[in-house]
Amino acid sequence: MRASPPNELAELAPPQREDTRDEIIMDLERDQFVAETSRPVAQAPLSAPAIAALWALRVFVIVVSVMVVYTFIDQLH
Amino acid sequence: MSSTEAASALELVLPPLTHEDSARSMDRSRVHQARRHHNRRRLLWLLIGPGILAMLGENDGPSMIAYASDGAQYGLGFFVPFIPVLFAMAYVCQEMTMRVGAVTHRGYGELVLQRYGKAWGWFAAGDLTVTNLVTLVAEFVSIRVGMAYFHLGAGVAVALGMALVLFTLSGGRYWRWERIVLGMALFNGLFLAAAILVKPDIGAVANSLDFTPFPGGSFNTLLLLLASTIGATVTPWMIFFQQSASADKGMTPDDVKHGRYDTAAGAVLAGVFGIGALIAGAALVTHSGAGIQGFAGAGFPQALGHVAGGAAGTVFALGLIEAGAVAILTISASTAYAAAECVGVSHSFNSSPQEARLFYAANVALALVAAGVILIPGAPLLKIALNANVLATVLLPVSLVFVVMLANDRGLMGSWVNKRSTNVIGIAVITFVGLCGSAYGIDSFLLATHVIGR
Repeated sequence: MRASPPNELAELAPPQREDTRDEIIMDLERDQFVAETSRPVAQAPLSAPAIAALWALRVFVIVVSVMVVYTFIDQLH
Repeated sequence: MSSTEAASALELVLPPLTHEDSARSMDRSRVHQARRHHNRRRLLWLLIGPGILAMLGENDGPSMIAYASDGAQYGLGFFVPFIPVLFAMAYVCQEMTMRVGAVTHRGYGELVLQRYGKAWGWFAAGDLTVTNLVTLVAEFVSIRVGMAYFHLGAGVAVALGMALVLFTLSGGRYWRWERIVLGMALFNGLFLAAAILVKPDIGAVANSLDFTPFPGGSFNTLLLLLASTIGATVTPWMIFFQQSASADKGMTPDDVKHGRYDTAAGAVLAGVFGIGALIAGAALVTHSGAGIQGFAGAGFPQALGHVAGGAAGTVFALGLIEAGAVAILTISASTAYAAAECVGVSHSFNSSPQEARLFYAANVALALVAAGVILIPGAPLLKIALNANVLATVLLPVSLVFVVMLANDRGLMGSWVNKRSTNVIGIAVITFVGLCGSAYGIDSFLLATHVIGR
């Protein structure tokens, strides 16, 4: 098994693997396994101004999108 | 500790392995082997893919029509140097997504959802679904336009598009899917061939590199051109696609250097082929872009055939079919990744359809809906195609903000976080895209509601 920072066990991995399961284990980094990537990452704390800025951007984008769609429908007529 | 003992010790702490792990491991084994043997060419061959596919996938039907329309309406001038600038911007954005995918092994949708909250993840997936649906309709339109040149109808276009989607999904391996689509994407070079066939004035092309003449016309037309050309280069689906595909391919931090080569190669190829479409379109400049008006039929290739010879028209028509077909595959894939990531179920081409039902179903379903639209008699296909890029541009800033946030998240990225210079360029790109998209949206709305006059 490989890991982003090389670990002791990965360095012990031999060039010749003994069976398929071992090969799978050795060729993937630990955090590449499906079981690992299925675990959610921790939520990042966002500051109140950051959240406000994101919502402002989101609302702005939705408003402009509605304008684009309105213009599109208007052009159809 | 012997090798067997080491593996056994690891098994004790490892969860059960899946078919997806097994398939990805086979791909990684070849990468490790090439790296051990210092086989640089093979390593590059094994690691290219997501970057070239994202960039050439974005050289899709509406994009190539947008470039050709720019050329047909304004000649060479401003857009020849502007397209490379846009692809340089695209490189900055896509490099970040590749790096985040390689370091975290997770797609964009799931990371935004888990890291910043469900609302943001679902908003991102919602934006993507809307823009992808509109864009997919435009891709089928593109195939239909190309087919119409050969006197083939909408039914054939739909059948071809859906057959390709089903065929590429049938292998149960990311590697197979990627190589098939990569092989098809190289035919994007047909637009370069079309440019050569119109026998352009090389001197005029060289002279246009100073961004002159600047396109004339109304302010709104200029904004539309900017918004649609930006939307032809950087879009939300590319962000979802490249990050998820990099993770699905099994890229790791060791592969980031090759991921950058892959993304840069894609940007260069896409830029060159995009300029090819522009130059081919510029052959129609004396016709005031009249061919574009027949877009719902075989207008553009036919007009090009009349002006520059049948070969140029044929190659351009084939190019439109290729551009639409490749984009249907990559855009459907990005939708499938986003849907399955947000729901939290299997999302990999390395899984079988039984293991990843939603992933495969979403892949096919959106393409099917888009295909259905072009079969509706009298549907406003031309307007849908031309507005697809604009809508993508308007929605893009939010996606880009989260890309920059993820790429700066030290908890996820460790030492692979953005450099200061990348952040400066990234923020400049977001600002530019946001200003162009929103300026067009607001100006068009004010014109449509007669608040301001033309």
